[in-house]
Amino acid sequence: MTKEILLSTRNLHKSYGKKESKFDALKGIDLEIDEGETVAIIGKSGSGKSTLMHLLALLDRPTSGTIKLNGISTNRLKNKRLNHLRNKEFGFVFQSFFMNADDTVLNNVILPLKIAGLGYRERKRRAMEALQIVEIEDKAKNKANDLSGGQKQRVCIARAIVNNPKVIFADEPTGNLDSVTGDKITKLLFDLNKDKGITLIIVTHDEDIASKCKRQIRITDGKVISDSNIKKGQK
Amino acid sequence: MKTLDIIKSANQNLLRNKLRTVLTVLAIFIGSFTIILNTAIQTGVNSFINGQVEAYGGDGYVIIMSADTMNALGDQMGVSSGEPKEYDPDKIQNSATPISEKQLDELNELSSIEKNSIQPMHNVSISYATSDKTDKKYILEASILPPGEVNIDTVAGVKPDLDSEENQITLPPNYASVLGYDSEEAIVGQTITLAVQDQVTLAYTDFEAKVVGVQASGIITQNSALINRVLGDEIYEENTKYYPENMKNQVYSVSAEFRYKDYSAEEVKDQLKEIGLVGMTVDDIVGSIQSFFDVIITVFNIFGMIALLTAAIGIINTLFMSVQERTREIGLDKALGMPSSEVFLSFTVEAVSLGFWGSLLGTGVAMAAGFGANAIFHAAGGFLEAFPTFQLVEFTPYNVIMLMLVIMLVAFLAGTLPAQKAASKDPIDALRYE
Ligand SMILES: Nc1ncnc2c1ncn2[C@@H]1O[C@H](COP(=O)(O)OP(=O)(O)O)[C@@H](O)[C@H]1O
Ligand SMILES: [Mg+2]
Repeated sequence: MTKEILLSTRNLHKSYGKKESKFDALKGIDLEIDEGETVAIIGKSGSGKSTLMHLLALLDRPTSGTIKLNGISTNRLKNKRLNHLRNKEFGFVFQSFFMNADDTVLNNVILPLKIAGLGYRERKRRAMEALQIVEIEDKAKNKANDLSGGQKQRVCIARAIVNNPKVIFADEPTGNLDSVTGDKITKLLFDLNKDKGITLIIVTHDEDIASKCKRQIRITDGKVISDSNIKKGQK
Repeated sequence: MKTLDIIKSANQNLLRNKLRTVLTVLAIFIGSFTIILNTAIQTGVNSFINGQVEAYGGDGYVIIMSADTMNALGDQMGVSSGEPKEYDPDKIQNSATPISEKQLDELNELSSIEKNSIQPMHNVSISYATSDKTDKKYILEASILPPGEVNIDTVAGVKPDLDSEENQITLPPNYASVLGYDSEEAIVGQTITLAVQDQVTLAYTDFEAKVVGVQASGIITQNSALINRVLGDEIYEENTKYYPENMKNQVYSVSAEFRYKDYSAEEVKDQLKEIGLVGMTVDDIVGSIQSFFDVIITVFNIFGMIALLTAAIGIINTLFMSVQERTREIGLDKALGMPSSEVFLSFTVEAVSLGFWGSLLGTGVAMAAGFGANAIFHAAGGFLEAFPTFQLVEFTPYNVIMLMLVIMLVAFLAGTLPAQKAASKDPIDALRYE
């Protein structure tokens, strides 16, 4: 069984600022990530993990280099197309949740479908389904702000899977959680990979979580210093 | 995102900071209330003035007299140069001059004057009016109905039929009860008596007239009854029966209709001037009232616009604050695939919603105030009691809807600034912002 390449990058550079204050956050990243993989991007704070994830998730454009999604270069795609790709193909989980605190749990989960322009009934049905998967459907009508940290992250995972994405990008998903809750959230993410074949790209500095992934990519100062997937033979 | 969802969430967002929203809506309310009420007053007064203009004879109505008569009138009223004039024995000066037969013929041939619309303005003089329901006699002024499409506001019945063979009269207000009838409706269709005194024998000659209607109060057609032509001619004949033959048919002024659709008032006056006549249109008579009134309204509208401008600044402020507060939310929306154009749209929809609610409130309160004022002014003792057909405040759906749309447009324009800021937010910056 040959696996399709989902994401690949070639000589990816990202700099912030101009002239004297110019800072190179990424200095030539080459990667290939297959469909269905679980990938941990590990590194110290400030090493460029989030920057890399934002580029892979098409939230930002590289200063130079290319990113291919399903073999198609994304560099020249219009913003409209990128918006559509993120909305349809990606799910996002962030360290600090990013929820609309005053809104209900259900409305938070519905958001990607609302942006997609789905009808009210259909999006409610699918959001309830997603909430069932993360086992928090009984809190659907609660205000997001009234939940505990672990519950919030479950809601965020529900939001990330509500659009049936190909890949979930998780930036320090357990960073704000205690270790027991964090383990549960991690398990939930890996179950999604197993049951639905969703590719996981997890940014973390937690070695425990990283070791649960099939593949670990270590980043220091904007460069890949090790990749457990040696068969790919990075330069 | 669906348009309906955008509108819904815009309104939900407005409810998040209720105090701020209420204050902004209030500012828009003040501006829109002022402008909407002003416009309604303007509409009310203008339609009343137009009604009066029509009562006078409509758009094509012109009163014509000889240039000499006009000069004489001018001299008497002191609007001419004031220079003493030398006596010229060949000219009748400083006194009214009749319109000659020749001028009348020429007048009928003018291209701007409707053929055969010319009607001599005979002064008819009645001594009193009475009816068989009362012994009392009441002084009554009467004039012959002008030709053309004259609109007379009546509280009962109709205006006289100018060309009818029967003697017809439309009474001024208040005559029904003194002539012995319970109501204005009751006197319609009844016959009353008009008496004219013989200047020599002092005996009275009675004329029967059928009441066809009772007029509403107005500014211009005052307390004068309107009669049709047969009755007018009979009374005029009685009034002038001792006049020498050549004076009987003397006409000092005539009313006529001009072809106002094809000729301007100025063109008519120019044509009249060539045959030694002067014309006065309805605009000459009531136009100045209207323009004076328009100035007042314009001043009030400027106040309204200043209020609206302040409100627009309020909208800009409110939305800038809300863009600031919602930085993360906007970033999340964009990360999850919302296009910048929809972010822009959702903020402008918020602005338009503010405009909508503010102007709706303004319209509602202005209408309540307007109808209330109309009712109070027309109630017994109110200053418009005598003018039942005059609606001081008149709302037309067109005006109200147009004004609301304009206010929403202003709100939209104000909203574009903050909306642009929101739309240009980078999702990454927003997500890093903690
Ligand atoms: N918008 C920015 N402007 C300037 N520097 C930035 C910006 N975003 C990130 N950086 C810098 O880039 C480096 C990498 O950041 P980041 O990818 O967030 O690191 P990590 O997620 O590994 O902690 C850091 O030194 C950070 O200060
Ligand atoms: Mg980071």
